[in-house]
Amino acid sequence: MAVKDTRAEDEQLNRFWYRYKKHTLSRSIVLQLMVCAVTIGIILTLYPQPTIDAWIVIGLVTAIAIVSTIVATSIAMRPVKDLSSALVHISGEPTDLTPPNINDSYYSRNKLRPLLKQIYAIASANITDAEAPKSSIALPNISGQLNHTSTGIVMMNQSKQIIFANSAAPISIDSNGVRSLDLIFDVDQPIMEWLSERGEHDIHAEKSWRRIPNKLAGESERRIFDIHVSYDRGSEAETIITMLDRTGEYQPEDDDLDFIAFAAHELRGPITVIRGYLDTLNDELIGVYDGDQEELFQRLIISANRLSGYVNNILNASRFDRRHLKIHLAEQQLADIYDVIADDMRMRAEAQQRLLSVSFPPNLPTIAADSNSMSEVLGNLIDNAIKYSNDGGSIEVSATVNGDFVEVAVTDYGIGMPPNVIANLFHKFYRSHRSRETVAGTGIGLYITKAIVESTGGKISVKSVEGHGSTFTVSLPIYATVADKLTKEQANNTSLIQHSSSGWIKNHGAFRG
Amino acid sequence: MPIKNILIVEDDRFIGEMYVRSLNKAGYSVDWMVDGNDGLIAARNKPYDLMLLDVMLPERRGGEILQILRGGAQDLIPGTKVVVLTNFDQTEQARKDMEQYADGYLIKAEITPKKLLAFIEKLAASS
Repeated sequence: MAVKDTRAEDEQLNRFWYRYKKHTLSRSIVLQLMVCAVTIGIILTLYPQPTIDAWIVIGLVTAIAIVSTIVATSIAMRPVKDLSSALVHISGEPTDLTPPNINDSYYSRNKLRPLLKQIYAIASANITDAEAPKSSIALPNISGQLNHTSTGIVMMNQSKQIIFANSAAPISIDSNGVRSLDLIFDVDQPIMEWLSERGEHDIHAEKSWRRIPNKLAGESERRIFDIHVSYDRGSEAETIITMLDRTGEYQPEDDDLDFIAFAAHELRGPITVIRGYLDTLNDELIGVYDGDQEELFQRLIISANRLSGYVNNILNASRFDRRHLKIHLAEQQLADIYDVIADDMRMRAEAQQRLLSVSFPPNLPTIAADSNSMSEVLGNLIDNAIKYSNDGGSIEVSATVNGDFVEVAVTDYGIGMPPNVIANLFHKFYRSHRSRETVAGTGIGLYITKAIVESTGGKISVKSVEGHGSTFTVSLPIYATVADKLTKEQANNTSLIQHSSSGWIKNHGAFRG
Repeated sequence: MPIKNILIVEDDRFIGEMYVRSLNKAGYSVDWMVDGNDGLIAARNKPYDLMLLDVMLPERRGGEILQILRGGAQDLIPGTKVVVLTNFDQTEQARKDMEQYADGYLIKAEITPKKLLAFIEKLAASS
């Protein structure tokens, strides 16, 4: 730490003047004292035993010599002081030196004025350059200084090539020497994709990204940034990307998730027993229940299923962050996927007095999906619809065909959301101010929902009116449109295995447990 | 192929007992081993129709048992179907081995005894 501080101080511009002043003055005075001492020595050799008066004269002359040395040195040093304080001033470094006023007649007399003028001209050229980059002076001058910040700064030219990157910017260089941004986008549209969409009508555009890592969870030297991109069509540095390093703030949450995921595996043992016996006893106790016992028993089942769903969300989010989430796409009927959770959802809705209506058209084409993951997606969306609606409220699940996709919509008529909440809805750990106060949750349900949908080749979107409710729409690819591709991809290993809701059986259709 | 005799290799006593209870009630004949060594020996000594195999087992892991029974020159349990049951994520290699040697795979937390019975019926019908 101490070493680092000393180095930083050494880089300060305003240290030069004080050190120079001290050293120059002290050396001049020491030299003058030596000259005086030699002179006195010669006088004493020529005229031994001088009178008191002679001593007084010697003292006076010595004093005058020292004072005149200080005055002469100060005059000689002034241009150095002016030049250095002008340089410190334009660097923007904090200082108590007054910058020289070039209108002072002193500067025109000693011809220092053109030099100072030149220094100030360089500074104003830098500022103009930032507003409208025309001059090429700015980049070489500031680029070195930009290596002192932990904020990554990248500039790209009109052909989207990186023309400048400071040392904090996460950049990778391929074997051809081409530099590219080393960032991982999962929920958001990647920067380069956004840039490629800046058409002819965009003169100036800006966009921010939150929580973008440069490495996957668990990898070393992982950093997480908040990113701002500004695009200025036709400029030499057409795109300027600033990446604020917020690893210290975001990483602890990711570490927590890692730990919870680790622990969540252990939770699955007891959950197996609880869900297993609840299911068994529910069958065996029919006809034995008394009063509200059956309803209370249903609550046990609902709660165990929700617990299991949350554990799955945590495990899936952790897998997804490490890119270990496996999505096995196969031909599926949407109705079959829903069947897996249908009983559970019906019970949950009834227990919370919501009216759940699910209707899929009978002739809906089959989709390409991972049954297990997709039932979790539907479960999460319906669970949210229940959470954010009111007693007696309706929840509608429907499906339509739109182009190459089947669109599944989950609509509630609950509290809805304002636009600023929607913008962040799918971010990891995001919880709106209001939902933090009123509804329990971890902020990973919608994050993993979006991740699963997009890993399936689908899309998720939301429409909401505050106070009137929300509609989440999941678009899933129709199997026929992707079948060729899937068959090719799976030809080598998994074509004989139909993955399904809770497992698989070899050489057989999916088991729908 | 009808399934009648079942071997369960499962070290969690509550989970093991739960499966044994349901399978017995459904009319299956069930043997239950709690560690990997005993499981391996039992599988080789008696011709079971089905083996329900846990992965994280004491003495020998489920993957190792599968490797010994099915990974050699000949299948040591040709008449037995093997279904792997686990609650833990696996490495890519373990997953590939599993897909190569096992006849089925289930996440325990997602499978209640009732669903397990349905799975076994479907497995029996599939061959």
